[in-house]
Formats: sequence, C-alpha cells, structure tokens
Amino acid sequence: MPVLFAIDPRSGVPIYLQLTDQLKRAVAVGALAPGERLPTVKALAVQLTLNPNTVAKVYRDLEREGIIETAPGRGSFVTGNGTVDKTRVVASEVAQRAVREAVREARALGVPREELRGLVDAEIARWFPEDET
Amino acid sequence: MIAIEGLTKRYGTRTVLDGVSLNVPGGSICGLLGRNGAGKTTTFRCSLRLAHPDAGDARFDGEPLRTATFERLGYVPDRPSLYPWLTVEQHLCLASRAYRSYDGARARELLATYCLDPADKARALSRGQETALSLVLAFAIRPALLLLDEPTGGLDPLLQRATLELIIDAASNGASVLFSSHAVGQLERAADRVAVLRDGRVVLAGDIEALRAAEKIVEATFDDGVFRSDVPALQGVRRWEHAGAALRAYTERDPDAVAAALARAGARSVRVLDRNLEDLFMDAIAGESPR
Repeated sequence: MPVLFAIDPRSGVPIYLQLTDQLKRAVAVGALAPGERLPTVKALAVQLTLNPNTVAKVYRDLEREGIIETAPGRGSFVTGNGTVDKTRVVASEVAQRAVREAVREARALGVPREELRGLVDAEIARWFPEDET
Repeated sequence: MIAIEGLTKRYGTRTVLDGVSLNVPGGSICGLLGRNGAGKTTTFRCSLRLAHPDAGDARFDGEPLRTATFERLGYVPDRPSLYPWLTVEQHLCLASRAYRSYDGARARELLATYCLDPADKARALSRGQETALSLVLAFAIRPALLLLDEPTGGLDPLLQRATLELIIDAASNGASVLFSSHAVGQLERAADRVAVLRDGRVVLAGDIEALRAAEKIVEATFDDGVFRSDVPALQGVRRWEHAGAALRAYTERDPDAVAAALARAGARSVRVLDRNLEDLFMDAIAGESPR
C-alpha cells in the first residue's frame, strides 16, 4: 500500500482513532482507490508496529461504516459501490473533526466568536479564491 | 494463555511480590511496566519457577508449568544466560537438541535479521548481541507463549523495530506475549493491555484503550485566578486539582459536559486533555517511596 501512516503513541488521541482517521482520509482523497486491496491485519500491524487487535478493530469499524469490505479468504477491499457518495461523506466527516478541533482550541484560547468567524472566513477566502465574486 | 495468580515472593522480611495476578489471552500482548526494582523480573522468574514463589503460581494454557511447556514457551531473561565459551552456532545446536519444536530454517532467518555471526563466541558478543541471540533462541521454536523481560534492551533502533515486528507477528498468530520494557511509547503501540507494578503489587491493569478512555482531564482557567466556590458539583468528576490559575477536573465520563459546565461557571478558557499511557503510568507510580 503506497499510503503512509503516521501514528503517534504520545498523542492523546487513541491509536485506533488515529489509524481509522488516516485510512478514511486515504479513501477520501483517493490514495486508496475503490476496489483496492488493503494489507492484511497482520501485515499492517507488523508494518506499523501496532497491536494486531487494534488494527483488527479499525478494520471492523471501517467495515461497519461500509468503507471497506472483507471477502472471506480474499482479504479486505475499499468498497466499490456508490463510492463517490461514500467518499464525499467520509471527506466531510474528516473535515468536520478537524474543524471541531480548531473551534475547540480557539474557544480554549478565549478567542471571541466574531473574531473566530473572521479567521475562518479569511482561511476559506484563501483556499477557495474562485468562489470570491 | 498466560495466567499468573497471586504470585508472592519474600526475601527474608522483604516482600518483593505481593499477590501479583495477571492474564494474557492468546493473541494478546501485555506490557509489564514498573520502575527498577518494582518486581518485573521476579514476576518472570517466579512464573517460570526459576525462583520459588512463597504463594501463587502461573498457568500456561490452563496447565501448570511442566517440561513440555518449554516446547512452546520462549523466554528472554533480563540478563541473557549464555555459555561464554560456546559460539552462536553451538547455542543453536544445543537448542535444536533440546527442543523438538526447534525450527532450523527459522533460526537462520532470525540470525540474519539480527546480523549475528554464527562463528562468534558468546563472550565476544556485545550486550545488544547477547539479547539478540536470546531472542533468536526464543523465537526459533515458534512459541505460542512468550515471556520477554526487556527484550529490546541494548538493541539499536533497527533491531528494536525488528523485535517488535516479531512480537506482533507472533501475537497475530495467536501467541500470548508478556513483555516488560521501559519504552512506554513502544509498548503503547504494540501492546493491547498493560500491568503496572509498584513495590511488588499490580497497581494498574487492563485494556490500554479502556484505561485511556476511562479518564480525561478538563482544564479550566479563571480570569481572576480565583476559583469560584460554587464550582458546580459535577457528575463524574473523580477529583479536582489546583495548579496556579488553572483548575483540573479528572473525569470518568463525558468530558465535554464537564467542559461546558466549567465554561458556564465563568472559566475564561477550557480544554480537554487526553491521557496517554505514559501519563497513566506516571500516575500509577506517583508517590512511590524511594528505596
């Protein structure tokens, strides 16, 4: 799998969540294409030196969310059907989590609501210049 | 399955193990943490009857330790027990005669992994190479039970990684692994459960994710540096801690609700801190009396 995962055990974020998010992100940006085969739990656990039960849990969660499918004896694959929609949903979820973190941090730092809104608008204007009229 | 039950060991009047119990199911990696002298090595030694426990015992797949257990048990002691006058090759030869489960081809692979020269005498090996040879001998029988007492001690970063990969591979194949280390970050990646020893007792044990999820810290800062006396009696807050202008709530559930309540109580800033294994470990051993 050509995707790189960066797991930081020191971060307070649970390791299974870090891996779940990074796999979702890889699907959302197309780094893992629909129908692409994922490494086995064992291979990914060894590659990332993560506990196999942790990796198995991540696969189970992604399966339940319909992002990957497991065919007995053949391995796990990125879901092929309706993947364009799925990808949008996943992208939206990953983005929402990032926004939530940013807003929470701003709140913790005591940035007032209106100032925060201004900061967000400025970032949107910077990254979506074509939408400006 | 490794099941240690009530292990107790006294040397004279000193109790070094005091009712240590822990379970490592198949496919699981349990990290054994503790300061130097907390009883980690004695736990291994008493489990394997290399030291005689005053009470308690260890069972392997439901059975007491017997000679046959060693056919599927790999042990790496904290101080490698090698024969200084024998070569690496001769150590493998001894193991091949001692264990029916010894896999010669696997041993060759492991020698290559650890960059060991079969012709070297054990007395010429560095500390790390001694550990490496112990690991080769332990893994060459494809063990279903692994007791590893600081198996990465003295190894360079590449060989530490190779060792973790072997441990994870073994657990993927269903092995039970008990693994002591001071490298908390490494353990946090590789282990799914942990037991922390302090003065010969298990002071924290369980599933790492569950332990991490069980407690969060909500930290609030108040503008005037004065805490309101009417800080709400919040559900699920186990204890409060004052640190300068900050107030910390140790909470067992719903940290966001606690954070919101503190914000309503007039806190200028509020943040939720997740705790990693090192934090939990430091907490568990806090206040230990110096020996």
